[in-house]
Amino acid sequence: MSGVGGELGTLVASLLEAESWVGSLAGIDADPPRRRLQRTTFHHISPDDHDRIVDTITTFNPHVLVHVGVWEPDARAAPRVAAALTDRAAVSVIGAAAECRALDSIVVRSGIEIYGRGPGALTRPDEDAPLRPTSEYGRAVADIERTATDVAARVGVTVGAVRLASVLGPHVPSPLGRLLRQPIVPFSALTDPPFAVIEHVDAARAIVAAARNQLSSPVNVVAPGAITCLHAIRRGRRVPLPLVGPQWWVARQLSHLTGAPIPDHLGEALTRGRLADNGRMHELLGVTPVVSTTEVIDQLYRWPSVIRQHARVPAAVQLPIEVSA
Amino acid sequence: MATNSTANSASDGRVVQFPTRGVAGPRSTAGGTRPAFSRLTDEPSGHVDDWGRDAGLFRTVTRLSEIRWAVSTGGEQHLPTRKGALIVVNARRFALATVYSGFAISRALDRPVRFVGRADGGALGALGQRLGGLLEHPDEVAGALRAGELVVCSTSTTRRPSDVGVVDHALIGAALRAKVAVHPAATTSSPFGRRARIEIGSATRARRNRRGSLAEVELADDVGRDIDRLLSEMGDMTTGTPLDWLPLSGLGGN
Repeated sequence: MSGVGGELGTLVASLLEAESWVGSLAGIDADPPRRRLQRTTFHHISPDDHDRIVDTITTFNPHVLVHVGVWEPDARAAPRVAAALTDRAAVSVIGAAAECRALDSIVVRSGIEIYGRGPGALTRPDEDAPLRPTSEYGRAVADIERTATDVAARVGVTVGAVRLASVLGPHVPSPLGRLLRQPIVPFSALTDPPFAVIEHVDAARAIVAAARNQLSSPVNVVAPGAITCLHAIRRGRRVPLPLVGPQWWVARQLSHLTGAPIPDHLGEALTRGRLADNGRMHELLGVTPVVSTTEVIDQLYRWPSVIRQHARVPAAVQLPIEVSA
Repeated sequence: MATNSTANSASDGRVVQFPTRGVAGPRSTAGGTRPAFSRLTDEPSGHVDDWGRDAGLFRTVTRLSEIRWAVSTGGEQHLPTRKGALIVVNARRFALATVYSGFAISRALDRPVRFVGRADGGALGALGQRLGGLLEHPDEVAGALRAGELVVCSTSTTRRPSDVGVVDHALIGAALRAKVAVHPAATTSSPFGRRARIEIGSATRARRNRRGSLAEVELADDVGRDIDRLLSEMGDMTTGTPLDWLPLSGLGGN
């Protein structure tokens, strides 16, 4: 499994550990996992270290490859760095897996940004809709799917793409989550289109189900329902800032300075909307999202910014000071 | 990740599902595309459905639309209660037949009804989407029909209210792909008055079993014929004023 160091990757790994069909599990990432994993062997490898990735994967010889190592622009890295890391990780990991004789199937993380929001784009595209990405992230996930499909066709294995809506969770780095939690939130005054999201646990369950079922086609993973930016702002009791046309450019610069950059795929969702048809989820994966879009947004505003955990035993009691007479 | 075929016993690791207590507000859908609220009157104001229809805005605009149109609806018993269906209405130029028909059928059935023909992009497109509009694209219509939605589309517009325009066979093809019924509906409205009427007919059946694209073309022709029949049964819309005598008034007298 690649991308095991991210919040979503760690969650997927911990769910996979609980699966009875998983014999052994190995994870690769440039960052260590966010929580303790019991059965996973973690390999700390940078996406640039092509040789070590190939060595590690070919030695492990996996039956199923789960590729979650995808960097969303402005989530953990700037758009240009994110695109480069995503591309390198996809080429190295999927290419190395192709060398493994035991490989049966590949599951890759993708996004509904792949459909694009250009003129004539469907309101709620299903998996058969044409892929016309109009954002950097959309093009990045389209490249991952293309790489995986090419490799799978060459070596004769199945490939499944889990096309996720924007993933939100308490510790998941998300430009959308950061923007909505700002005290003043911009929205498109003229359009304010609806968008859908997915909770991180539902996203992880979908990826695990895709690996379990050896998914062999793309599937949209989107929470039911939709919400507009203004509705989200009202639910979070933030101050709405209506914007029109060129004002967005100014808002992007200011938002970047305040620590919540607006990458192009997020700007697109806020001005053109982003929905997808999740009707095939149950048929292909056997699971459906538990949390609706509105509930995810409500949870987003309930997650605390800082979690303070008091020590179980006061430090003074742990280390008694000996006073010499 | 290596699979362990020996550890694949169904009895191991069974998860017990406890029933969850129902709470107010939007309910999560177990079936993916199944709507959280089946009745329009149950939807809270801030609710936006899977297709982007805003319940609060929809209620406000339908109430405002009653200032312009006083619509009487007939034949709604022909429509399926849960499944999707395509309703094809005749349309006079500038009459917004799909919009007022969608609103009126929604009210009559207490169920969301989508209309085909919203603008793509811009403020008008966004407003159309928030009111339940769909793009005039066969894939978009097929997606909505597969999701169990009622969708209203129109024939091509005509100048005279008693004429029926051409039925778009691509949209009929979308209904055939989604395996839902196609219902003809006749609409009459007046450019000068509030009165409007919609009469929905029973589902049009294909006369022959065709495997290719002829099925949608023939069904489109049949739907057009059925709308024509319904229109002639309804009679002309009249205002009861000398305007009705004018041949080009768009009302009676033709």
